[in-house]
Amino acid sequence: MSTSPGLIAPPEGDVAARVRSALEAVFDAVAQTRADTAALLARVAGQGRGPATVDLAALRPGLHARLVRHELVSGVGFVAAPGLLSDVPAWLEWWQTGSSGDIRPLLLDLDPEHSAYSDYTHWDWFALPRDTGRRAVAGPYVDYLCSDEYSLTLSAPVHLEGHFAGVAAADVYLRHFEASVLPLLRALPTPAHLVNARGRVAASADPAHLAGSLTKGPDFAAVLERARVEVWHGLRLVPCDGIPLVLVLGR
Amino acid sequence: MKHNRGGGARRAVFSPVDTRARVETVVRRLGDAIELGLLADGEQLPGESELAAQLGVSTVTLREALMALRQQGLVTTRRGRGGGSFVSLPEEPAEERVRQRLAGWSTEELRDLGDHWAAVSGAAARLAAQRTEPDDLQPLRRTLEEFTAAQDAAARSRVYGRFHVELAAAAQSARLTREQVALQTEVGALLCLVLGDDAYREEVADRHRSVISAVQDGAHDSAGELAEGCVRESTARLIALRLAL
Repeated sequence: MSTSPGLIAPPEGDVAARVRSALEAVFDAVAQTRADTAALLARVAGQGRGPATVDLAALRPGLHARLVRHELVSGVGFVAAPGLLSDVPAWLEWWQTGSSGDIRPLLLDLDPEHSAYSDYTHWDWFALPRDTGRRAVAGPYVDYLCSDEYSLTLSAPVHLEGHFAGVAAADVYLRHFEASVLPLLRALPTPAHLVNARGRVAASADPAHLAGSLTKGPDFAAVLERARVEVWHGLRLVPCDGIPLVLVLGR
Repeated sequence: MKHNRGGGARRAVFSPVDTRARVETVVRRLGDAIELGLLADGEQLPGESELAAQLGVSTVTLREALMALRQQGLVTTRRGRGGGSFVSLPEEPAEERVRQRLAGWSTEELRDLGDHWAAVSGAAARLAAQRTEPDDLQPLRRTLEEFTAAQDAAARSRVYGRFHVELAAAAQSARLTREQVALQTEVGALLCLVLGDDAYREEVADRHRSVISAVQDGAHDSAGELAEGCVRESTARLIALRLAL
């Protein structure tokens, strides 16, 4: 990668902050879904009954609006914890933008007698918010359950009367994420890429580190934990404060 | 370049490649789904236009496919109010019906299916070995455990397929994963026939275990060879069974 002389490169901290704000916009969609769902579940509980799939239909106008409004979001919804709903064992109230721009529901076979993919509780986007109680970024990973796309899924736990009720989540296809952050990475004076806490490359302006590959060596989870810029064998590691991604700058 | 919008030759280029093959594809897809239990006995299929849209075929093609499925006794159609197309399983034992489906494949087609499957799973295993860290192997380990515990052949076949889909996902390749999912809809229905055998089930479990170990060790060449070997053995068993029919 080259930069033209005289071009003032934005400081790395600014790039990390802008990556963060791109994903914070997606987390806004997750937070709205979470708030809508929590309010809905509380309202149904106030009527002295358990929620059913038909109640979740009330979430749809909000979900559709978020798909239209948020450029990066290609799928959004609420994924119920198994046993939450009175009429089905498991459920995804999940809506996606189709290739022609249409908005459609995801209809999965969730019967374990028929589908080998009926149990979704092992996926990071479900397990991380359930186990930590905090919002999470899963991926990049191949989402063969919902979209068949290489994706990031941002999610947050939904609680009802203090108990875990499921997750609110939004999908970002990696190609859209790349389109959004690549101009930022390319503006840096040295080859740059973004990795998740496990070192998997989420976006890259460095041909030596392609999306989906692993950057081995540094303990990126520890870098995120310490939340400050570090140097590892000449690589600068810049955590995107508040988002579990690290900006890696080459020499 | 000379523009010839809407010209006859141009229209021909973009017309469906082979309508007959499409009918067969739809028949095989829906037939396999019924054999695998993905569609239950008595279940109503979506309306014709919706189903056609979901499968990406014209309603004419879909109607022809439904007619073929009715002839095979896998679908019944009721007219009038509350009517539509319903899944109906014939009385004869499931295994016999799957044998009949296997008889619909030539050994050359089975060999080619196996080649395609080995190419996809082998490439996936090689890439996964380069791109995997320990947490990525959890789904494969869980699937292996589920496979060793699965009782009936249909369940074993579904979980066998999931192992190969997860291997492609561990390769971080959406294309290989999509390809593997599509392959499994074809091969899954047939694999029931060889996975009922407990000894072979054990062998497959051992083979999958060694694929996981090689992927974990980053030994990409041996991971690829092990995955290919596993797939080839399954295909060879299907072909041997086909020749014995």
